[in-house]
Amino acid sequence: MKKFIRPPQIIILVFLAVLTITAIYLHIPLNAMFGDSLVRLVMNGVLVLSLLPMLNAGIGLNFGLPVGVVAGLLGMCLAVNYHQTGWFGLAAAMLFSAMIAVVFGYLYALLLNKVKGREEIAATFVGFSFVSLMCLFWSVAPFNNPAMLWPIGGKGMRLTVGLKDYFGKVLNNTWQFNILGIKISLGLLLFFFLLCFLVYLIYKTKIGRAMIAVGENEDFARLSGINVNRVRTLSVIFSTVLGALGICVYAQSYGFLELYTAPLMMAFPAASAILIGGSTGGKTTIGQVVLGGYLYQAIYVISGPVANQLLMPEFAEIIRMLATNLIILYALLYGEGLRKNA
Amino acid sequence: MKKLIPLLLSVLLLLLAAGCSNKVTQETVSKKTPEYKIGIVTPTLSASEDEFRGADKVVKKYPGMIKHLTLPDNFESEQETAITQIVSLADDKDMKGIVICAGYSGILPAIQKVKEKRPEMVVITAPIWDDPDMMAKYIDLCLDTDWLKRGETIPTKAHQMGAKTFIHYSFPTHMAKELLANRRDKMKATCEKLGMTFVDISTPDPFTGSGPSPMLQFLQEDIPRQIAKYGKDTCIFGTNCPMQDVIIAKALELGFIMAEQCCPTPTQGFPAAMNLEIKPEDAGNFDKINEMIKVKAKEANETGRLSTWPVPVGVFFPEFSVEVAKGMIEGSVDKTNMEQLGKIAKDVAGVDVHFNKMKPEYNNYYLIIMDSIIY
Repeated sequence: MKKFIRPPQIIILVFLAVLTITAIYLHIPLNAMFGDSLVRLVMNGVLVLSLLPMLNAGIGLNFGLPVGVVAGLLGMCLAVNYHQTGWFGLAAAMLFSAMIAVVFGYLYALLLNKVKGREEIAATFVGFSFVSLMCLFWSVAPFNNPAMLWPIGGKGMRLTVGLKDYFGKVLNNTWQFNILGIKISLGLLLFFFLLCFLVYLIYKTKIGRAMIAVGENEDFARLSGINVNRVRTLSVIFSTVLGALGICVYAQSYGFLELYTAPLMMAFPAASAILIGGSTGGKTTIGQVVLGGYLYQAIYVISGPVANQLLMPEFAEIIRMLATNLIILYALLYGEGLRKNA
Repeated sequence: MKKLIPLLLSVLLLLLAAGCSNKVTQETVSKKTPEYKIGIVTPTLSASEDEFRGADKVVKKYPGMIKHLTLPDNFESEQETAITQIVSLADDKDMKGIVICAGYSGILPAIQKVKEKRPEMVVITAPIWDDPDMMAKYIDLCLDTDWLKRGETIPTKAHQMGAKTFIHYSFPTHMAKELLANRRDKMKATCEKLGMTFVDISTPDPFTGSGPSPMLQFLQEDIPRQIAKYGKDTCIFGTNCPMQDVIIAKALELGFIMAEQCCPTPTQGFPAAMNLEIKPEDAGNFDKINEMIKVKAKEANETGRLSTWPVPVGVFFPEFSVEVAKGMIEGSVDKTNMEQLGKIAKDVAGVDVHFNKMKPEYNNYYLIIMDSIIY
């Protein structure tokens, strides 16, 4: 029987409550910030969701998220290169991304299956080195849309590519309305919850159950006739594809494609978020993804303006770093304890 | 799989090397023999695009006269190579001038060696970052951008463009740097003098942990908030390069003023925020790029509210320095004549360039501020 609220959530909720009360006290309009926090939930939420399949299969936190992110960037570059715009552009970008992510995910899974037990640290370095490798690729990438090329050199990709004329904010602007000064992008939220629901459904199928079984007890799963490596491979591909879709959602919301070293650190905020949500590095629920994603981003949204108003920006930065990093540490300690006791 | 990865890596490296090398080798092919040569030293393309392209431009302008050398990619660990390269320029009897545009510290020893061997060699640095007193002693002409003075020029320009409020976005790591903190204080003082409200806002720090994403997301949410509070006649300045994409994109959307980026050039922020379609044949053609920005600014109803320097200093310095070196060798330019230097600079940049002495006692160390282009 798992408790839903554990110390990490309590710390974060208290921190959030203090921030909110301070914000009210300082007359900072909360309704606009609530709208922002919902946008941020989805913007980063798919990336957080992408950690779930690997966690459930017992592979641990996917610190190799940059692999999926790069697949998504490649897919979006293809869509921009062929001037695909609007909804169709985003759909094309997602389709391309998913296809590339399947290939990348498969290769990534082969590697991870070789380093069983040390997946997290191996994945970290896969992510780092892959980003550097791709830096070489971006600088010679054979794309030819002039909106993507270096403005002085005339070849190779720019550091950032604007998506405004292609599919920037397509999801954000779908069914957007205002209630009580809160800007709500219904399209964006629906997309996210639909994706969560799909993932939920996948875990109700036979293969989904096999993934969870492998995560819970590999030996037992093997004895029940499950091909463990195949299931692990599928989970890694699943994670990578979700990561690729995640960066598509992120980039369309941000309005820019960020290439080169931008994906380098993307795994860490996502990992913090899922751990804040209550995951302990083992089986994780969609609820924990949503809760963690929301809490983590809400703190970012509120702490900035509050700290600036109080004229102590460094202090808020330190507290936030401390709180989020300590929670990761807590989760690692606690998760490890669980595994030993099991 | 194990064999595939090294193979893949080496193929990529090869590709990259090939991509760079065809640029580097297109050097001196002498059509008519000039009486003398000028050497120009820059970082590699991958280390800094601006300086490399700037030198490339001069090579094309004076075929057969310019020798373009590139410093090692990892300059810090290969300073000896760099020194040998620069000193080797002095071996050529026809070489009468050396221009170094590198922005590194540790190049001065090479210049000292060159001067020992060939005291008459004209050496111009634009810029290198060694000890200023030593530089002024050994180098014929030292040039750099006046980073601190911009704390005065940017708010003044914003004021002229109609700003009533000046917002300065930065974060702890940058504010711990003396130059940037001093510039902020100068901005604040200038704003007070001109009667503008100065607002100092701290963003999440991009150098701690999560990278620039939280900072950029914060900017996206905070700029509309500030504009709602202070109105459209607000100038926004950010101290970090990735910020410029967001600031300019939001300026197009919300109609506020962007007087200058952290590194003033039409190629920062504008291309991504405006989706500038710069064709390979127009790449590096600043007149054309500036024209494109003007058109896009007009479409967004932002005419007169966006501004920057028309040419990046990295591209300006190599060409300007070669022109000055040429003049000094031919005896037509006096390096202490700031008016004359200003005239040459105007021909190269297309706008006025102001020279200030680094210290009053030096007459060979100048800091520049370029006049702006307002789109």
